[in-house]
Amino acid sequence: MQESAALRRKIWKHRGDYLFIAPGYIVFIAFMLVPLLFAIGLSFYKASFNLSAREFVGFLQYRRLFQDSVFLKALVNTVTYTLVIVPATIAVSLFIALSIDPLNTRVQAFFRAAFYLPTVAGGVVLSIVWLWILNPTYGLLNYFLGWFGVEPVSWIATTPHSFWAVCLVVLTFTIGEPIILFLAGLAAISRELLESAVLEGASNFQITLRIRLPLIRPVMLFILATQTIRVFQLWEVIFMLTQGGPSNSSTSLVFLIYQTAFIAARYGKASAIGVVLLLIIFVVTLLQMRLWKESDL
Amino acid sequence: MRLLVRILTIGLIIAMAFSFILPLYWMLSGSFKLQTVTMSLPPEFFPENPTLGNWERLFTGPWPVWRWVLNSIAVSLLTVFLVLLVASMTGYGFGKKKFPGSNILFIILLTTMFLPNQVMLIPLFLLVRTMGLTSTLFGTYFAMALPIIPSPFGVFLVKQFCITIPDELLDAARIDGASEFGIYYRIALPLLRPALAALAIFTFNQSWNNFMWHMVLATDKFDYTIPVGISYIARTPAFGKMVTDIGLSMAGGTFGELFMIIFFLMFQRYFVKGITFGAVKG
Repeated sequence: MQESAALRRKIWKHRGDYLFIAPGYIVFIAFMLVPLLFAIGLSFYKASFNLSAREFVGFLQYRRLFQDSVFLKALVNTVTYTLVIVPATIAVSLFIALSIDPLNTRVQAFFRAAFYLPTVAGGVVLSIVWLWILNPTYGLLNYFLGWFGVEPVSWIATTPHSFWAVCLVVLTFTIGEPIILFLAGLAAISRELLESAVLEGASNFQITLRIRLPLIRPVMLFILATQTIRVFQLWEVIFMLTQGGPSNSSTSLVFLIYQTAFIAARYGKASAIGVVLLLIIFVVTLLQMRLWKESDL
Repeated sequence: MRLLVRILTIGLIIAMAFSFILPLYWMLSGSFKLQTVTMSLPPEFFPENPTLGNWERLFTGPWPVWRWVLNSIAVSLLTVFLVLLVASMTGYGFGKKKFPGSNILFIILLTTMFLPNQVMLIPLFLLVRTMGLTSTLFGTYFAMALPIIPSPFGVFLVKQFCITIPDELLDAARIDGASEFGIYYRIALPLLRPALAALAIFTFNQSWNNFMWHMVLATDKFDYTIPVGISYIARTPAFGKMVTDIGLSMAGGTFGELFMIIFFLMFQRYFVKGITFGAVKG
């Protein structure tokens, strides 16, 4: 009783401080928390364009989802996209960062900018040109592959090529940020440490394996977390290139949310898909947090 | 041997840099090619008979491209303004003040960074529709800015940066009789400028590319933002057939990315700062 009174007095004493975080918290509650709770609530309803005619159906949307072949395909695809794109992004960007780290600052800045440009252009703009590059008859990619004797591939219109086409295009703009992060991580490694390793006769490869990689592990975990979340939300390239096709072979959860909510106006079902996505991201993030803790970040 | 490996690696990196930029070059050069050229093999790496026809069609077509640019700029600036306002105050509150529950309140806020935005878009869309926000121009801009305004990353960034502001400075102002808000506004805010600049650039880019939300909200061609508009042009069949007007698409794509790339080249330093902040110690 006395404690709670003391706490109340303490809170009252700090009332001015709460005013500083109030605008932030009001915005968060209004535009994030309330919509989130509303979406969770909506997932228990059958709701269409006329929202007042919604009908409570309990867990029906969820039960139906796990019998819905399109949803299951989107779920499997989303996980596969992540398992393909995230490791590829980390491997490619790490290789590039390690290779340009020893160069002088100006050259480094040039390469950094060059690899970051596609990220700046964004998925929508890149998809427009990739649609042309991937064209089966007059596209650049098939032309180049033709040099190596590869028969023309119908990238967008056949399975499983459309899936790999999406992966390829996404990869061109996911590596920009990790390169910058890896370079910053590498630059933070103390020069003396590296020099003393050289003096003791360690080869460049050994230094990279034993010193550089362990020291940039926190950066790598950060990249792993942010990229995973980003690829889980992949949709714009799918929208621009394949529209999820052919026969849903390249669809993703977020593309399905878009179709279900904003094309078909089935808000209850779309919210249920959203909640499933939310739970997956939540679990994956928790698992990664454990990794973070182990490397005391 | 070592030198050879070094040269090979550099060669490989240059080749990779080329291949990553090639699509952008291909788009730019394609915007000066005739439709017959864009559909012929072998491809022309330098347009031999460059044409301005695609650009002419882009600017005279039945779509208001400059209006889209204006919309994109207006929405992004509005978003940046609101994010800076909210994030700087909240981040400063968490960074420079200790009050009961400050830790837990901050952590709650931080976890929202991992929420998939698309889940919130459905309720927000229904809200915007019910309120009829999109019936006025400013309402449309505000609605387009909405989902990005709560920026947990921004709060985090400002809070981290507050460490660089010495407490003695704030205490000295307190002794001189400055109000708490005055301290934030007159002393902290100017010192936070580098962090706020990085946050502004980050938010501007994020808002510019907020494709799904803008597309869902804009029902009228006049309300499109740049990505929505150019994707509309690129997906519209041309010449009365089911053929894409490739040259026009490329001109549209080039036009659309131009602003962001210029913006990036101007403020590259802040882009890098915004990306690395908080992720890399030291």
